[in-house]
Amino acid sequence: METNEPNEIENALRAYGDRIRFRRKLVAVHKSMDMDEVRTEAGTYRVGQRSLNSGRNFWRTYGTTLAVAASVAVVTTFSSIFLYRSYQQSHKQEQQYSQLSKEIQAVKYSQRRILSDLNGRSLSLSQNPAQVSGSGFLITTDGYFVTNNHLVQGADSVYVQSSKGDVYKARIVHTDQEHDIAILQLCDDTAFRAVTAIPYGFDARPSALGERVFTLGYPREEVVYGEGYLSSRTGYRGDSIAYQVAIGVNPGNSGGPLLDEKGNVIGIISGKQIMAEGVSFAIKTDYLLQTINAISADALNGLPVKLPRKTTLARLSRKQQIEQVQEYVYQVKVFKH
Amino acid sequence: MRDRQPALTDEELLTGLANGSDNALTELYRRYFPMVLQLITTNNGNEDDAKDIYQETLVVLYEKVRAGSFELHSQLKTYIYAVGRRLWLKQLAQKSRYMVRNIDVDATDAGQVSDDLVDHEERDRQFELMTDSLGRLGEPCRTLLEDFYIRHLSMQDITEKFGYTNADNAKTQKYKCLMRLKRLFFAEYKT
Repeated sequence: METNEPNEIENALRAYGDRIRFRRKLVAVHKSMDMDEVRTEAGTYRVGQRSLNSGRNFWRTYGTTLAVAASVAVVTTFSSIFLYRSYQQSHKQEQQYSQLSKEIQAVKYSQRRILSDLNGRSLSLSQNPAQVSGSGFLITTDGYFVTNNHLVQGADSVYVQSSKGDVYKARIVHTDQEHDIAILQLCDDTAFRAVTAIPYGFDARPSALGERVFTLGYPREEVVYGEGYLSSRTGYRGDSIAYQVAIGVNPGNSGGPLLDEKGNVIGIISGKQIMAEGVSFAIKTDYLLQTINAISADALNGLPVKLPRKTTLARLSRKQQIEQVQEYVYQVKVFKH
Repeated sequence: MRDRQPALTDEELLTGLANGSDNALTELYRRYFPMVLQLITTNNGNEDDAKDIYQETLVVLYEKVRAGSFELHSQLKTYIYAVGRRLWLKQLAQKSRYMVRNIDVDATDAGQVSDDLVDHEERDRQFELMTDSLGRLGEPCRTLLEDFYIRHLSMQDITEKFGYTNADNAKTQKYKCLMRLKRLFFAEYKT
């Protein structure tokens, strides 16, 4: 304080003096009190029941603050609960999607039909079970074969086995991770002979809800038939590349064909939702076709993919359709060393 | 003893208080001391505590009235009760007691009382500071200033008492002492 104004300090001094004088007066006045009279009068004030600080004044002073704090607490609690639950939901849903590839831990073959022992391969397979297995199906007579990418990803070798037990080594021609599709080629294996015409067709047009559908696959070592209907035009969590299907599928069904009543392949089985009854998913044929078109010329190696033109199963009964289709649906066995 | 004259109203009491009227002060003291005595003694206090609290309450009232910043919202009785109760609560808190039982007196305005007590605390602090600063001032400055500002001695009286040549000399001395006090006071005050 650089100012030489004495005012402030003088005022402080005067206030000091005032108080000292006043206090002296109070002492004098107190001495003049008649304490008996004072005590008597004091007794006329009744003592109340309520206690002090937790009474009205408390609320008056702190009421607003408490109200604000309470509101904030309520809002925070509910948003936390909401956020946690939506996190839980999404987390749960991720856990609920299961790719239907089968991991073979222990193998027990009750019956094994070996019709043709092709270089002892089928035998060796039975002694050395694959680590992952699923399904797949032929798309051309030249040995082009389709299955799920998640089955063959990171594989050292891929083998396929027909319903009759014939085993062939497959070469991976092209994979599409986004659509979960892998194109294989069986012709490299000299034991594979070009098959007779493929009976099913491919329909890339969107299918209708309620479409009766069926599949063949290998949740076991034998081919298994499943049937159902189309539940939704989109897949897991609204995925537009897949359909939701109500059909009984299990690990091992991955990669199998989803066919409509006419015998057209409308999708490829890829996964199912756990904890939900009858909810499975299939990649739409439209994306299979896109994937095929994306195969590079090198990978094709001079052999274009010529898909069958039309289904020949349309007029057949379901049982007959199954009989024909199952010849072209193979089990896929993947080895990772 | 009672009703020798019509009882003074609250306003009249306050005016008298502001003017330094001894009558008003005595009447004020007598009128509300029993109430505070009852409050304190029914809440773990003795008569001495009641006296201290009551006198401090009157200091609060007096200084607000002198500053011209006192507003009477309800009854003076209510205000005095509220202030007394607050002051006592503060004391009890130091002994870790937080509850005081009310006596039968009307509701109080918490807002005004809190503000007033905050001001009071500030004034208390200044008072302490002044006491301390005066103590460190040393002689003759301390007595000189106290004589002039507190005991209201005239410059002439001071000149004689301290043996200065003349009044102007005394004034200069007083000024120097004042500046020293100022330095002491504000050094502490700002921290």
